[in-house]
Amino acid sequence: MSEMKDFNSEVHPDWCPGCGDFGLLSAMKKAFPLLNLEPHQIMTVSGIGCSSNLPGFINTYGLHTLHGRALPIAQAVKLANHEMTVIAVGGDGDGYGIGVGHLVHAMRRNIDMTYLVMNNSIYGLTTGQTSPTSGLKMKTKSTPFGNPELPLNPLTLALGSGCSFVARVYTGHVQQLIEVMKKAIEHQGFALVDTFSPCVTFNKINSHDFYKQRVKDINKNGHDPSDIFAAFREATCEAYIATGIFYQNERPCYEATEEETLREPLYKHRLGLTTEQQDQLVAEFL
Amino acid sequence: MDRPKDSVIVRIAGAAGDGIASSGEIFGKLCSRLGLHVMAYNAYQSAIRGGHVWLQLNVGSQKTLSHGEAPDVAVLLNRTSPPLHVPQVKKGGIVFYNSSNITEDLSKMRDDLTFYGVPFRDLISDKGADMVMANIMLIGATIQILGLNPQVGLDFIRDRFGKKEATVIELNQRIFQLGVDWAREHAKPLKINLRGDGKRRMFMTGNHAFGMGLLAHGVKFYAAYPMSPSTGILHYLATKAKSHKLVVKQTEDEIASINFIIGAAHAGVRAATATSGGGFSLMVEGLGLAGMLEEPIVVINVQRGGPSTGIPTKQEQGDLNLMFGGQGDFPRIILAPKDAEDAFYTAGRALNLAEKYQMPVLILSDLFLSEHFQTADPFNFEAVPIERGKVQESVNGSYKRYLITEDGVSPRVLPGSPGGIYVSASDEHDESGIVISDVLAGLPSSLEIRNKIHAKRMRKLERARHVDMRLPTLSGPQDAELTLMGWGSTYDAIEEACGLLTEAGASVNHLHFTDLYPLPAEKVLDLLNACREIIAVETNYSSQMVRLLRAETGYNEIKRTVNRYDGEPFTGEDIFNRLQEVLAHV
Repeated sequence: MSEMKDFNSEVHPDWCPGCGDFGLLSAMKKAFPLLNLEPHQIMTVSGIGCSSNLPGFINTYGLHTLHGRALPIAQAVKLANHEMTVIAVGGDGDGYGIGVGHLVHAMRRNIDMTYLVMNNSIYGLTTGQTSPTSGLKMKTKSTPFGNPELPLNPLTLALGSGCSFVARVYTGHVQQLIEVMKKAIEHQGFALVDTFSPCVTFNKINSHDFYKQRVKDINKNGHDPSDIFAAFREATCEAYIATGIFYQNERPCYEATEEETLREPLYKHRLGLTTEQQDQLVAEFL
Repeated sequence: MDRPKDSVIVRIAGAAGDGIASSGEIFGKLCSRLGLHVMAYNAYQSAIRGGHVWLQLNVGSQKTLSHGEAPDVAVLLNRTSPPLHVPQVKKGGIVFYNSSNITEDLSKMRDDLTFYGVPFRDLISDKGADMVMANIMLIGATIQILGLNPQVGLDFIRDRFGKKEATVIELNQRIFQLGVDWAREHAKPLKINLRGDGKRRMFMTGNHAFGMGLLAHGVKFYAAYPMSPSTGILHYLATKAKSHKLVVKQTEDEIASINFIIGAAHAGVRAATATSGGGFSLMVEGLGLAGMLEEPIVVINVQRGGPSTGIPTKQEQGDLNLMFGGQGDFPRIILAPKDAEDAFYTAGRALNLAEKYQMPVLILSDLFLSEHFQTADPFNFEAVPIERGKVQESVNGSYKRYLITEDGVSPRVLPGSPGGIYVSASDEHDESGIVISDVLAGLPSSLEIRNKIHAKRMRKLERARHVDMRLPTLSGPQDAELTLMGWGSTYDAIEEACGLLTEAGASVNHLHFTDLYPLPAEKVLDLLNACREIIAVETNYSSQMVRLLRAETGYNEIKRTVNRYDGEPFTGEDIFNRLQEVLAHV
């Protein structure tokens, strides 16, 4: 049985004090023992950005990859060794900007993995430029006269892309995050958990207080996660900021289509062909 | 000539959709089954219907080294064909055409050729005998005048259409036989002596050979995005995914493809992708990632006419420079097989080298090698045994993924192993994988780690250079006055050119590279210095191999080059002719 401390890394996070990412990291360390997961059974994959430094701060197998490319790598790790629990982590620039193409296809592909996005509506590591989720008219270093573009809504994007598990949580609400994270990891398919993870240094608008005052857990208010129309309504609600599990459906995950091939994890397959197989391959061209 | 020829060039031409490929397959496999050698080249356009296509097959009792230039026999299926192809037929050659379709009197076009109009419609009026099947009748007629055994053709049709209804097979066989019978009655046999040696050979493309080579040498994960002319590998492996239990994934783009195979390779699975130059350009960032994470991946770049979208269905060797792309220094191996057989073994070798050195291995193919059909001797599946490099089964105590070793290669522990936990990072890292690029950047200890770990990665290249890279081959007389130098798929065409030049009294040999990088520079320089004059033969504008040799060895004596960049592949005759021009300009 693992405990939270088993997931502590010898490397201390280089995040600013007060960064929302601490909440997510702490929730991960608390959720894994609740799921009876041992450190070596987990692969944490990230892209590039402040939040993408996370694999170094947690004691699991890790891959800290390229900006926007965490998902292709994470999906392949899962297909190659489906006995591992695969978690991709990253920021909004990483997942909703440069990597959004991969995200859309990962959601419709539905490989059994979890994607945790630490969304702070700003580019932090590059010191404060507009992000795909920055609000309209928001002033940043790259938009000194205000952001002229509408923010992307990750939840409606997910709902429209066939994502089988769609959730959102504010990282300051660690208990709710642990609960949602547990269900996301248990979900057999691609789970997107968008989190509000405030950047205390470069985004003075979307602060901890901003979210504390506005978020509402829809799972405590009778929301039906099997109702995709209700999910769209909550995802676009302007009266409050909805959090919780918006949508979940149990369609078969991608691995089910490769049942024969993946009966044994791919990396354990014996390599090489039998003489009969060799002869068959040659015979096609005779 | 007194002696009857022992080879013949046949060209089949028509509209896309006229069944050129299937009639070519019937003719080619028939010849292959008779133990003859075939080199075929398919000229087509980037259009699914409406384009004009032709397939040229050079069939011989001995190995044929190119698809040849002017055909001895032309088989014309549609009305667009005569003006395009009749002028190109060899003097005294033969033209078969479907006279139910081409109603003009072709004999006025050239008086040195023999024209045979085969009246498809008059010979068969069965329901189901569509005009598109005329190609099979004309192939029947062709094999009759070549003196080949029609029974082999009938057998092949049975095998080829084996899954279809008996009536379909019978109809195709009957149409084929009608062609044979018509020619027996109306056409004069060609004076030719085609004699097979009875050996069984495969009739296949380089892409088939790459696919089979990957499969035979343990690829379990193949991810790719469709791009001509690399897609044949995806098609081949996709049909094998279920039966051979491998994952074949068409991804959303080439960026995803390379990152997918990096993920799979990291988890301990042999993984590969293939693309063409445009896709490779997108993969370059991932290539650097594989270099930094030290992941064993194999990437095949099937070159086509560039730059940009370029000429998707045409030949070029224009991506050699591109293979060196990527920010910073990282090790890689570049191989360029010379033919389909070599493609099979190179795939196996590449997978082994990738795992031995934990680095990306790049294979440079091109449209000609990947898509032209040729006869190939059955492969030796045991020739390249699978070797997985340093993989550590279990961990006792601490484990350092990037342990600094003498040869630069650190033992891998596969993810999921208890006790072996580590992070692989694209940021610079220490032996354990801990990132030194952020808060530790610039500290004296970090400078030292950076130097050590960077040198460790690059050191792998030195070992590969001296242990695994093969020297270029030299064929022909050692002390020849002239050396033709090539790389990759031009091997056979240059051999053919050397034969023609030798016949014409020239003193010539052939230096050919298949292992392009890292070059054992000193040994290569010795070989270059031993040549009297080297003329580089490349299907590109700027002689990229000459540049590479200059950079790697300092050799600067290649003053004359033969370059072709119109999109068509070399033949021996073509090189011979171009060389006359080059030699005339002293």
